[in-house]
Amino acid sequence: MESEFTQHLKQGEFRIPVCTKCGKKAWPPSSTCSECYSRTALKKVSNRGVLVEFATSHLRGHEGVFGIVQMDGFRLVGSFESADLSEGMDVRMIECGMKDGTPYYLFAPEK
Amino acid sequence: MPRVAIASASSSQFTKESGKSIFELACEPSIKVLLESGIGKQVDAVLVSTCATDQYSSTIVSEMLGIKPKVSHRVDNLCNSGTNAIASAYSLIASGLCESALVVGVEKATSAGNRLVWDLTRGSFNFPVHWASMFARAHMRRYGTTEEQMAQVSVKNHKNAAKNPNALFRKPVSLHDVMNSKKIADPIKLLDCSAPCDGASAVLLFSEKKAKKTEEPVWINGIGQQTNGASFASAGDLTELDTARKAAKEAYSMAGIKPSQVDIAELHDAFTILEIIAYEDVGFAPRGKGGRFVDQDEIAINTRGGILGCGHPVGATGVAQVTEVALQLQGRAGKRQVGGCRTGIVHNLAAAGSSATVMVLGV
Ligand SMILES: [Zn+2]
Repeated sequence: MESEFTQHLKQGEFRIPVCTKCGKKAWPPSSTCSECYSRTALKKVSNRGVLVEFATSHLRGHEGVFGIVQMDGFRLVGSFESADLSEGMDVRMIECGMKDGTPYYLFAPEK
Repeated sequence: MPRVAIASASSSQFTKESGKSIFELACEPSIKVLLESGIGKQVDAVLVSTCATDQYSSTIVSEMLGIKPKVSHRVDNLCNSGTNAIASAYSLIASGLCESALVVGVEKATSAGNRLVWDLTRGSFNFPVHWASMFARAHMRRYGTTEEQMAQVSVKNHKNAAKNPNALFRKPVSLHDVMNSKKIADPIKLLDCSAPCDGASAVLLFSEKKAKKTEEPVWINGIGQQTNGASFASAGDLTELDTARKAAKEAYSMAGIKPSQVDIAELHDAFTILEIIAYEDVGFAPRGKGGRFVDQDEIAINTRGGILGCGHPVGATGVAQVTEVALQLQGRAGKRQVGGCRTGIVHNLAAAGSSATVMVLGV
């Protein structure tokens, strides 16, 4: 069954489950909070983060620049359009979605 | 607590494609250990370690082997399945529920265990090489670890694999070969990576009472395990693996030994950077000095050729690692036998080190 998170991601919206009771972000997405076991509900969260590490993939079919981004309270692996980056730099998610059944989170450096 | 021993251990030939089912593959090393130990079919437990999701696999293997065990089940914990299955078998025996247990790890190169699709936090860069490159970049930046040092791990393990008739890769590689191999995810190159393959390994565990009647029991003196989560997002510091550090500490403490007493080790080298981080996590090298530890020859490391040289049949890997250390401690490792080893460890990881097992074996 497709999760609500994935349904929104397909529409290009980044909404993640947040606990309705304690406010903890459920990441990877989950319908239950791992802290207090209450239900979670999708919420829009800040699209800003800090680049932790990045590298360039040459793997066939998976070429491109990617990096770990520390968001507010959670981490994900984002895609970048260029390798003109440095660790610790402020970045922002500019696009997201699903492609061939896999999510993508496209980031760019903050201007 | 009553002690548990490995009575017999064996690995099959690891291949790119065996043309065999996981059941046929699983039977090969199992038959060897059953016959060699003299136990025949009187085995109390059969545990199959695999990421293959074939139904009822341990019970099918039992039937094929003519065993009617009390306990039969499959264990899956990705690349860390094998040592988990051995830890479960250990518990069955230590608790008194069983006197003997056959653990067989088996995988096909096409296994679903090669990639964790559940983890949406990895976005579209969701192959193991992607998280491995993040670890490598972090270690290089913080500690000055070099691509050459990583390449040396590959050279060493391929050299060892050349002496192992069951290894997938039996051709030595040079530093130049590794450094100039195809870039996969910067700074990781093709020869920094292990390859999925077909293969199976089996160990037979005995209770203390039963083991004392055998010639060469290898005692499982310590087990430490830690799981921190399944997602890459749960990883903390990228230059060390908290799971492996905790597992090592517990295993050493249970065995009552220090890292300096270890003669031989199988470290989880699915990527070269993981072996370097492992040197530090299991206490062989101080934090940040793993890159410089590659040169040492005090401790024999990955004598079978490691995962880099042998190939990585995910569900079989942990059992294959334990098999190698057991054979070395029994003095039965053939051309690659290391002289005078009494104490060995196995370090086995899954999914970006999100779970880890460390075992201490001794004779
Ligand atoms: Zn909560």
